[in-house]
Amino acid sequence: MACDRIRTLLPLLADGALRQPRRFFVARHVAGCPDCAARLEELQSVGTMLRTKLPFHRAPPGLAARIGAALPRETPPPVPRRRVPVQAFAGGLVGALAGVALTLLVMPAPRDPVVQGAIDSHVRSLMAEHLMDVATSDQHTVKPWLSARLDVSPPVRDLVDLGFPLLGGRLDYVDGHKGAAVVYRHAKHIINLFAWAAAGRDTGFSETARQGFNVVSWHRDGIAYYAVSDLEADQLAAFARLVSGG
Amino acid sequence: MAHDDRKRRFELLALPHLDAAFNLARWLTGNSADAEDVVQDAYLRAYRYFDSFHGGEFRVWLLGIVRNCFLDWIKENRSSRMLFQAEPAGETDETLWSERPRDPEALLLESIDSQTLEQLMLRLPLEYREVLLLREVEDLSYKEIAAITTTPTGTVMSRLSRARLALRKLWLGAHATEVVRGV
Ligand SMILES: [Zn+2]
Repeated sequence: MACDRIRTLLPLLADGALRQPRRFFVARHVAGCPDCAARLEELQSVGTMLRTKLPFHRAPPGLAARIGAALPRETPPPVPRRRVPVQAFAGGLVGALAGVALTLLVMPAPRDPVVQGAIDSHVRSLMAEHLMDVATSDQHTVKPWLSARLDVSPPVRDLVDLGFPLLGGRLDYVDGHKGAAVVYRHAKHIINLFAWAAAGRDTGFSETARQGFNVVSWHRDGIAYYAVSDLEADQLAAFARLVSGG
Repeated sequence: MAHDDRKRRFELLALPHLDAAFNLARWLTGNSADAEDVVQDAYLRAYRYFDSFHGGEFRVWLLGIVRNCFLDWIKENRSSRMLFQAEPAGETDETLWSERPRDPEALLLESIDSQTLEQLMLRLPLEYREVLLLREVEDLSYKEIAAITTTPTGTVMSRLSRARLALRKLWLGAHATEVVRGV
């Protein structure tokens, strides 16, 4: 193999991510090529430096005990999903992201941690500019990408004809649940549809409004869904019905 | 009774990773008091969702929660601008790696002390710091890092490459300064 090709593989060799027989061929080349060997050494020296010189901060002595003492007060997640009436004014309250940041600073204690988690993940996806891992309007790309990485296979539909174009998808966590986030758009509003595997019976749609966001949640075929957007409540509800196919 | 079992099972799995959780939180927040808050929050959250842990490496699951708690913490405590900085663009790998120091790597390694390295790390963007810690200190695979950071594996690999380059650049810069000063 040429040096150029070897060099792209050197990080993988250094990180133990090369499988045989490629590992053998790369290692053999490096053994006989001083330039590539020097490059590998440079790569590895960063790791060596971090492992040998970077201070490792151990947990302070009392922390384990404090956590242990705090644990019993925490209970397993609540199963029932409450129906919260939609507040009439919530839809158009917050549009701009700057407004969102301000709202978060003064937000009251959350009630349903999952709804709160879904809103947090929605805001995070917009703020961190990490909206999509896979950015495409092709549902036949997004769905297998997600399925390959999750234990669920949420439906992914391109609803462009109905005014909700598919933008893409990513992996995300909602309050500790690892799942899919499928991203749609309606006019200028971004919709995150979170989905993860969850036991339980199918439910109807529950609507919640909080912090200027609307959330519609439901459960179907072993998957929990949370759609979050600053879209008007009735439009988000319409989206939920469309995307769930009913 | 069942509740006690659950707690014991959780502690057996989770407490061995307390140092790893704290170290990550400490490097992300930059100080011990906030790191403690983040870790405590993460453990309570992990306990609450313990039932959704479906095997695999517990440390990976836990560090993902630590990271999430950190993101929540940063959101509550700082402006949105302090969220993960955008990765510096440009710089191809070749330009930097070819700036070879005259000293052999081993000598160069000797030349840096822990305190300097800590300073250099704290100057890196969070995304770089995080991926370096997870890979080099926690010795996690690309796939595990991808799970923790909810990032595709390909992105983890390229980010790690850029992070190594960035740290190396700072390191060579610090080294050059010391040589000039005659330290
Ligand atoms: Zn070569």
